Amino acid sequence: MKCTVSWLKQFTSTEGFTPAQLADRLTMLGLEVDSVEELYPALDALITARVMTVDKHPNADKLSLCQVDTGSEQIQVVCGAPNVRAGMISALARPGVSLPDGTKIKKAKVRGIESAGMLCSARELGLSADHSGIMDLDQQLEPGLPLRKALQLADTVIEVDLTPNRPDCASVRGIAREISSFTGSALQPLVAKVTTLTGKDTGYSVTIEEPTLCPRYAARKLTGFQIGPSPLWMQQRLAAVGMRPINNLVDITNYVMLESGQPLHAFDFDTLKDHAIVVRRPRADEKELVTLDGSSRSLEADTLLICDAEKPVALAGVMGGLNSEITAKTTSVLLESACFDPLSIRRTARRLGLPSEASYRFERGVDPDLADKALQRAVDLMVELTGAQADPDGHDLYPGKKPLLAVPLRMGRLKTLLGMEIPQDEVIRLLSSIGFVLTQTSADQFEVLVPSFRVDIEREIDMVEEVARLIGFDTIPATQPLIRMASAAEDPMRRLCQDIGRNMTSQGFYEAINYSFVPTAHHDMCKLAMDDSRRKTIRLLNPLTDEQSVLRTLLLPGLLENIHRNNNFQRSDIRLYETGKIFLPKGKEELPQERMQLCAVLSGQRYPAAAPLYFAGQKSEFADIKGALLQLLWHLGYPVNQGSSVSLKVDSSAQQPYAMAGSCLAIHAGPTLLGCLGAVDQAVLKAFAIKQPVYFFEIDLEQLLSLPRREKQFTPLSRYPSTSRDISLLVPESFAAGDLLSGILAQNQKYVEAADIFDVYQGVPLSSGEKSVSLSITYRSLDSTLDDASVDKIHNKIVRALMQQFNARYREGFDA
Amino acid sequence: METQLRALQQEALDALEQTRDHASLESFRVTYLGRKGGRLTAILRQLGTASPEERPRLGQLANEIKTEIERCFDQRKEQFATGASGASSPMVDLSLPGRYVPFGSRHPISQVMDEICAIFEGLGFAVAEGPDVETDFYNFEALNLPQHHPARDMHDTFYVTDSILLRTHTSPMQARIMETQDPPLRYISPGKVYRRDSDITHTPMFHQVEGFLVDRDVSFADLKGVLTSFSQRMFERDLALRFRPSFFPFTEPSAEVDIACVICNGTGCRVCKQTGWLEILGSGLIDPAVLVQVGYDPDVYSGFAFGMGVERIAMLKYGIDDIRLYYENDLRFLSQF
Repeated sequence: MKCTVSWLKQFTSTEGFTPAQLADRLTMLGLEVDSVEELYPALDALITARVMTVDKHPNADKLSLCQVDTGSEQIQVVCGAPNVRAGMISALARPGVSLPDGTKIKKAKVRGIESAGMLCSARELGLSADHSGIMDLDQQLEPGLPLRKALQLADTVIEVDLTPNRPDCASVRGIAREISSFTGSALQPLVAKVTTLTGKDTGYSVTIEEPTLCPRYAARKLTGFQIGPSPLWMQQRLAAVGMRPINNLVDITNYVMLESGQPLHAFDFDTLKDHAIVVRRPRADEKELVTLDGSSRSLEADTLLICDAEKPVALAGVMGGLNSEITAKTTSVLLESACFDPLSIRRTARRLGLPSEASYRFERGVDPDLADKALQRAVDLMVELTGAQADPDGHDLYPGKKPLLAVPLRMGRLKTLLGMEIPQDEVIRLLSSIGFVLTQTSADQFEVLVPSFRVDIEREIDMVEEVARLIGFDTIPATQPLIRMASAAEDPMRRLCQDIGRNMTSQGFYEAINYSFVPTAHHDMCKLAMDDSRRKTIRLLNPLTDEQSVLRTLLLPGLLENIHRNNNFQRSDIRLYETGKIFLPKGKEELPQERMQLCAVLSGQRYPAAAPLYFAGQKSEFADIKGALLQLLWHLGYPVNQGSSVSLKVDSSAQQPYAMAGSCLAIHAGPTLLGCLGAVDQAVLKAFAIKQPVYFFEIDLEQLLSLPRREKQFTPLSRYPSTSRDISLLVPESFAAGDLLSGILAQNQKYVEAADIFDVYQGVPLSSGEKSVSLSITYRSLDSTLDDASVDKIHNKIVRALMQQFNARYREGFDA
Repeated sequence: METQLRALQQEALDALEQTRDHASLESFRVTYLGRKGGRLTAILRQLGTASPEERPRLGQLANEIKTEIERCFDQRKEQFATGASGASSPMVDLSLPGRYVPFGSRHPISQVMDEICAIFEGLGFAVAEGPDVETDFYNFEALNLPQHHPARDMHDTFYVTDSILLRTHTSPMQARIMETQDPPLRYISPGKVYRRDSDITHTPMFHQVEGFLVDRDVSFADLKGVLTSFSQRMFERDLALRFRPSFFPFTEPSAEVDIACVICNGTGCRVCKQTGWLEILGSGLIDPAVLVQVGYDPDVYSGFAFGMGVERIAMLKYGIDDIRLYYENDLRFLSQF
């Protein structure tokens, strides 16, 4: 809602307040001011000037050579306007001045003659569409005055960002009322006197068939007007608040709506069949109405219509019909000022996608007591500005008239809720300033009569809010609540995600956050089978784009997109992870299952962003993602080792379509599949336009969280030295060397502290198809220094068992 | 023997002078002071062969010499430790970059969200997260936003069905929690929210932290107190706070909260559009209609609620100027936090 300060002044004095101060006070009253803008700021640089002499331009027929008095000197200006004449006062732009459209005036030669400025038309100054000649101003004006001041154009537009609960402030007078609450100045009425309308002998009828949807309908007929442009001041006001001037009749209805908050509509009276107005719903055979904009609008059973004796002529409160539009031929109009049910108007406006200034106000609630006053204001303006004659009488049906609402206000409750004591007389003063009427009903309680324009106020809490905003939120103290202590239970999933974050970031991973909605194309890009359950998604009814049309069932695609994006910016060394939800549909009207997942991707150099001097050429590989996962699971309390519930294994039934065959391990907890890790399939990489290998793991965190965590438990430290033995075993090339480690640990021999693989070798002198795996086993006792003999004894036992179990041979030169 | 001892003393002290680093110092120690084959030890072992009258004097002398050599040795060792000896280790180019295994970091949104939660947890608030896909009932109706309420225009909603949607705020947790628990209650609810809006200042998904407190006699002054404490902790400065009347269907009185611009300290700049203020959260006393809906007596209980956009706070805290950066996951962005 925009209004100008001069317009506000019409209703209340703003003396003592600059526009910026008014804006600040309004904001602090809950009417947030979005902008405060000076009108016609460019016109400050222009001045009034008197044309002293006019001579013909020696080199051009249509140009004149003028001597112009600027108040301080005489200058020569070339002018092409037909209306220039000696003695006139006009608007002068000197060199260096910018016109409202941005044109900068320069000293120039026009057809060989020097011109030290430009005399301007109203259009050039952005004042109106008139470009027939230069401005012909009041002869009484002195030359040399700043134009904005001389023309009394100095004004400021204040734009208020209205909250939906304050339709009363969708009007200049409504905002003026709020201003009067802090200035103490009186609020002027919209009109001095309202003609009582009886509806007798008007020559037309008004009938309300739907009194609940139309609590009030007032109308007045006018004739004898001259349709033409509105006076300049009205055009300027309308333009200043963003409304395009059309003609005097239309402009007046808009002007009064902006001023009062009451939407008005004018019908061509002679198009109304039987000169009747009926407010009703559509008949069974009435399916559509062509509105003013030429579009055909479908009607539904609950669409409220304004009709004549036989047909609809307007969508009530939304838009008029083309069949009753005012045209150049119109000789009499019926002016409507009515009140409609907010919900009904909102439904129609929404259904038809037809938001208008009128529907905006009706949807939020127009004061039913306003209809007659606004009608009077419009009639007065039409009589004054268009030469119209108004019928002495008119109609004013008010079936929905209700007594004013009375709301209790307990001083005790007010004090409790605001946390401060406000004296009773202060409460009375504040509320009275914007039209509330208070009656004391007991020592501690008032009854507040709510003015009809405050459709938002129904309850005591609404009055508490009024008092709070009028006294100013800044006067309310800041205190700390007194509340019983309680130790809140922690959300285990939140905790888990934080632990994951700490662990992954310390392993060099950055956290990513991707949108929950994704394109369905991701499913094909990830090679999901047609019957893959992850193709069943939650689909949005109204997505912004196809790229964001379904909720994700996988985290990996988002991270692959992130890799692609980073590659585009020459970042190829990437470690990213995301913890986020996937969404799995359940029943049609059921909320989906939301499952928290973790996905991590790794690509490029092993140590991204580390000094290449030390780490160059170390490409990440499968072992890196496996190590990251093991490290994570270990620190989260789900270690993957002998005797723990979590294990990694090759499991063809868990092979993911987006993982490279042969490079995918399933993460199991007993029979439950927790997730997987592996290399991303080549075709999937190609689909995401990634040209480098990517390794990933994904884990269902809901499953993980349901597993028992390993409790932290202290193991006593041995005070004795350890000793180790190495061994190299020859095994077939395809043998899973890691099984040797688990084989060692599975034997559960005493003193075994650790077992490690330190080398895997293939090639000369080994025969092809064979590889050598070198292992180191560390032994330590808790209660003595182990002697060589007892270590050798255990070690040989272990090695023999290994060789037997895995059919392995000693590699020569490495005999234990 | 005395001569032998004196000579050894001289020789040892000379040798000590010649030591240049820890290694040569160590070999000195083994040669002269070593317990197994050290030369001083060897001489001391011969003490037994001296005459009984000489033995005490020679013993005392040997000990004095030993103490003296040990003292000089310690001194020399100390010199090496502090680098005062003029000795140098093999050439190291100290200007080369350090070697480290790089860390990653959490997303700035997560960092800020955790920080917000931690501040409220410190005030005794519990954290509860709700579903992203919500019913119309919890997202709107239970919060005093019935069908066709004009205030629904403030939320551009993504719908899944007529009655299921992507939550437009994290406020549904208010109703979900109050439905099953009795006051006193103190909760915050962080999470993703969705609105059908995408431009330079809006992404269709963003993050909110919603909080509420319900008890007997909770006042607007309490709301101001708690949010003031929060802002001081969050921005690590005593920035002025401004509570400005506004409208939310689920609170009354409702207030938008502005902080003095973190960039210009309230003097006016481009970020705060010359107003000196930045809007950081919406808040208010919980509307009695919401309390009644969950079966609380609004004459007995009252409470406040607030909600803030995490992206916005992170933007202010870190000076981020484009909201879309959050979801591109560009490492050049992520690695700044």
